[in-house]
Amino acid sequence: MSSIAAPAERGAAVTTGGRWKFFIGGLLILGAIAYVTLSSFQTNAIYYLTLKELNTQRGSLINQPVRINAPLDKSSIQFDDKTLLLKFNLKEDNLVLPVVYKGVKPDTLEQGESVVAEGKLGPNGVFQASTLLVKCPSKYEAGTPAK
Amino acid sequence: MADLVMAELGYASLLTSFFLTIYAAGAAFFAARRQAPALYASARNAIYVVAALTTLAVGILEWALITHQFRLEYVALQTSRAQPLLYNVSALWGGQEGSLLFWAWLLAVFASVVLMQNRDKNQDLMPYVIIGLAIAQGFFLALMTIATDPAQSGFFLLTPYAKDALNALVGNPFRLLDFTPRDGNGLNPLLQNPGMFIHPVTQYLGYVAFTVPFAFAMAALFTRRLSDVWIRTTRRWTLVAWLFLSLGLLFGMQWAYMELGWGGYWGWDAVENASLMPWLTATAYLHSVMIQERRGMLKVWNLVLVMLTFCLSILGTFITRSGVIQSVHAFGVSSLGPWFLAFLGVTLLSFLYLLFNRMSDLKEENELDSLLSRESSFLLNNLILVGAAFATLWGTIFPMVSEAVTGKKVTVGAPFFNQVNGPIFFALIVLIGICPLIGWRRATPENLARNFLLPMGVSIATAIGLFAMGVREWYGLLTFGAVALVLVTIGMEFYRGVIARMRQHAENPLVALVQLVASNRRRYGGYIVHIGVILAVAGIAGSSFYPVETQANLKPGETMQLKQYSLQYDGLQIYPTENHQVIAARLTILENGARVGTLAPEKDFYESPNSDASQWTTEVAVRTTALEDLYVILAGFDAKANTATVKVIVNPLLVWLWIGFATLVAGTVIAALPDPREARATIRSRVREALARA
Repeated sequence: MSSIAAPAERGAAVTTGGRWKFFIGGLLILGAIAYVTLSSFQTNAIYYLTLKELNTQRGSLINQPVRINAPLDKSSIQFDDKTLLLKFNLKEDNLVLPVVYKGVKPDTLEQGESVVAEGKLGPNGVFQASTLLVKCPSKYEAGTPAK
Repeated sequence: MADLVMAELGYASLLTSFFLTIYAAGAAFFAARRQAPALYASARNAIYVVAALTTLAVGILEWALITHQFRLEYVALQTSRAQPLLYNVSALWGGQEGSLLFWAWLLAVFASVVLMQNRDKNQDLMPYVIIGLAIAQGFFLALMTIATDPAQSGFFLLTPYAKDALNALVGNPFRLLDFTPRDGNGLNPLLQNPGMFIHPVTQYLGYVAFTVPFAFAMAALFTRRLSDVWIRTTRRWTLVAWLFLSLGLLFGMQWAYMELGWGGYWGWDAVENASLMPWLTATAYLHSVMIQERRGMLKVWNLVLVMLTFCLSILGTFITRSGVIQSVHAFGVSSLGPWFLAFLGVTLLSFLYLLFNRMSDLKEENELDSLLSRESSFLLNNLILVGAAFATLWGTIFPMVSEAVTGKKVTVGAPFFNQVNGPIFFALIVLIGICPLIGWRRATPENLARNFLLPMGVSIATAIGLFAMGVREWYGLLTFGAVALVLVTIGMEFYRGVIARMRQHAENPLVALVQLVASNRRRYGGYIVHIGVILAVAGIAGSSFYPVETQANLKPGETMQLKQYSLQYDGLQIYPTENHQVIAARLTILENGARVGTLAPEKDFYESPNSDASQWTTEVAVRTTALEDLYVILAGFDAKANTATVKVIVNPLLVWLWIGFATLVAGTVIAALPDPREARATIRSRVREALARA
């Protein structure tokens, strides 16, 4: 019966008043993780703006990293496949933002309704994108099929 | 006509299933309260019938997908006539409504398996397990059958058979169009990849399977049977769920690597984070249960971890299937949000209520003895894993929170996640190495130092060796040093075990190794998982610290250089396949001047009758060796001039990421195999619990 009631590890607890040691140790570790999280957040957090918001804060945002989300003007897409230089305009109401991106053109760009671009707004008013996400109309689905 | 009848039948079987889950939960509750075995049997039967009916619904939807019943909106959106059969089948989980059905169906099957497994066991827990499973099932069934968009048409549909009523549902997979399109749109070509066939299946299997341990945890809380019986009963469910979450991560990364064509496999995208977070908390849980089993401690913590994993699985489904967080997966905004948040909120609150109510039954049976013990190292592992999960969660949902609170949307990208999780995961690797060196309860520093000498020596030697070979980055030296440390400590564990067996049983080394693993599958399976993790870490470190890339625009006959490779361009090759046009750039690969093979990266064009849905995809070509991947992308081409723009990336050690995951899977399977030791331990726990209650 002894093997059922009390396996070897289940001896009487050695109480050394050690709870506090663990509590403090755990707090220190959690504190360290929280500190790393918050401080990295401070240094890496960037504004996520619409074109309108970017325009009103234009002055203070030159050369600051930002992420913008705006409708794509499909007719403006230009891609030089020799140099991998991609240019297009984002357009919201009467605001137009020229975007330049160096790299492989995303396959879904032509169907993109809007684009999420991360990068910096240059003093010349051109947005230098470092990453592009293309937002498709609906999930990975196109609209309702034709009759 | 057949399409309309079948759609009606599909919807009706889901609606019936929904009412049956409510009945099952109610019947199980009263059966437990009034000691009414007949009522309990009835609740069980209801769960079996739900499994049958949802299977029927899945069968109908698959029939419609395969036979092109385009009157069904879901079929018209997800399939087309030209699409290969494989992807018509996988369209079941390619879209939102189908995914909900898939979830509900998997859970129905799992619930039936649980009932069969526990036909004669855990009779006190089972009615409450049924309640938990039925509620989760009812939630997903409600989304498909009665839940409408709260912002538009109220919360519930009360008259499902009124005209047009069904179109207001948030997730009805059998919604009908008012005409029959000639052809469907087809699955997005990016999803037409074998990796995408298997990735969502494994991911959902993992998410859904965690419902089982959670249902047992809630039942244990409810019935105050809070020994380790519920943990041991669900041990293999937890392992299998974890296995599938791991496979989900693996196939997801492979899909991204082969199909998205940017040279990486992980971008800290919201949907990727959604699959990582439950994996992290589940990993913590797999470790901390060992302390409850051995020492009767951490009872509350284990319950919390199971709850967190379940909630993160639901959140993962929600993030993937809604569109709350902008992501490369670019899912549109859907009306599912309020429903998922409400379900999460109710789950969390009822868990917390039960937990605080049962606090008196959750006393620890032992106390931690020493800071230097296996228990402490497990605790530390738990803090680190849960810390990483929370840091990831913070970065993932912060854009939503900041917008709700301040009106300004602030976001973070990959640099944040790397900066935070880099050090956290490094600490975890070192811990994997040290943990086996520390005994249970109380280890002595002298003992640890003695065991530590060899691994530390090898680790330092590795770092020095790499430094001599020209590696200068401190993070590279540190990471590979840690990798060596862990491999040596785990190797020592196996070596000791094998030597002991060879002495005791006069076995040859190979037999001794097999017998060693077979005789304690859980322990050595776990070590094999650790080896897998460490190999994957080596692959991740190599490919993220030291990739090199170049690009060039080439005329036929020209070559480009990267490291020891030359790529000679032989021209374009253009040909049609079943459902797309292929434009391939033919390249001859030379390594140090010697011809080693050819590669043909492609641009594929998928034409759709709906011209908006026509699309290009990029198919990369990869040459893999143990040391590095040569990853080639066709970035652009000019068919008239027969020129191509080619981008080439060399990813060092990348194959070890896949090998590591394969090892991890093998280790998990070994640990999950039926094990007489575990079976005996479970029986002991049951008897102990019964004695304690008597």
